[in-house]
Amino acid sequence: MQLRDKYRIALLSAFAIGIHGIETLLPSPIPWMRLGLANVITVIALLLYGFRTAMLVTLVRVIISSLLTGTFPGPAFILSLGGGVLSTMSMGVVALLAPGLFSAVGLSIIGAFMHNMTQLTLAYFLIIQRIEAVLLIAPVITLAGTLTGTLNGLVSETVIRNLKKYIIENKDN
Amino acid sequence: MSFRKILLNTTGADRILFMLLLSVSLAGIFFIKDIMPQSRSVLVEVNGKPVYILPIDKNRIVSVKGPEGNTTIEIKDRKVRISDSPCSNKLCIKQGWITGGSIVCLPNRVVVTVGNKDRQKDGPDAITG
Repeated sequence: MQLRDKYRIALLSAFAIGIHGIETLLPSPIPWMRLGLANVITVIALLLYGFRTAMLVTLVRVIISSLLTGTFPGPAFILSLGGGVLSTMSMGVVALLAPGLFSAVGLSIIGAFMHNMTQLTLAYFLIIQRIEAVLLIAPVITLAGTLTGTLNGLVSETVIRNLKKYIIENKDN
Repeated sequence: MSFRKILLNTTGADRILFMLLLSVSLAGIFFIKDIMPQSRSVLVEVNGKPVYILPIDKNRIVSVKGPEGNTTIEIKDRKVRISDSPCSNKLCIKQGWITGGSIVCLPNRVVVTVGNKDRQKDGPDAITG
């Protein structure tokens, strides 16, 4: 991998970690419901620099954030990792198979949905064995995910369009 | 680029996806009662010991004996109530019909719970770590 790519991944990861850190400071009535603003970085990385960059940024972000918040090998980390990886993969697959179909908004919604579904599934199999609890909360989480996914998508799209004139687009795959 | 312009530049597929997920999740929230697995059995305990485990779909009237006397429990139309009890405040009777949860007659030590048969032993809800 070229040095330029490494710098890029490192910078984007730093942004993502910073955004995630600030976001955890925001007060929220529901503790586990986060805006997921760091996913903006993932979407931007995916659309401007390709799947490998996006996936690496996600992995670095999840691992280092979890190290910094002290939740490293615990259940929160597993959920975060699973959600992040599968959401990035789903966005990458869609962006690869149907390049113009979805804008950043659609990709973000897909990513958010897959993130939530993965976390619900993992939580069911690893932590809570009751399907009723999972079924009860699934619609609420999906609703929240759709709304925040749209918001993140709009932010991503705004950033990409405003940056287009300054960025040398360079998809690595 | 302004926000409005970005909104206009979302593709048709974006909007369809958004509407689809939005409606599915809202529908899920409103119809959650029908999706939940239904309770199948009624557990009657006296002094903490199970006395009766009855299916909720058979109309039936049973009577259990507690320290103060006989408490009558009625199952009808998939609902349960305590219809008679020797306690002084009759709070258990006043609770009326339930389709889930419990009715308790404290003076007579009677607990009527509606739930799933397989969860009679109450373990922890979830374990982490």
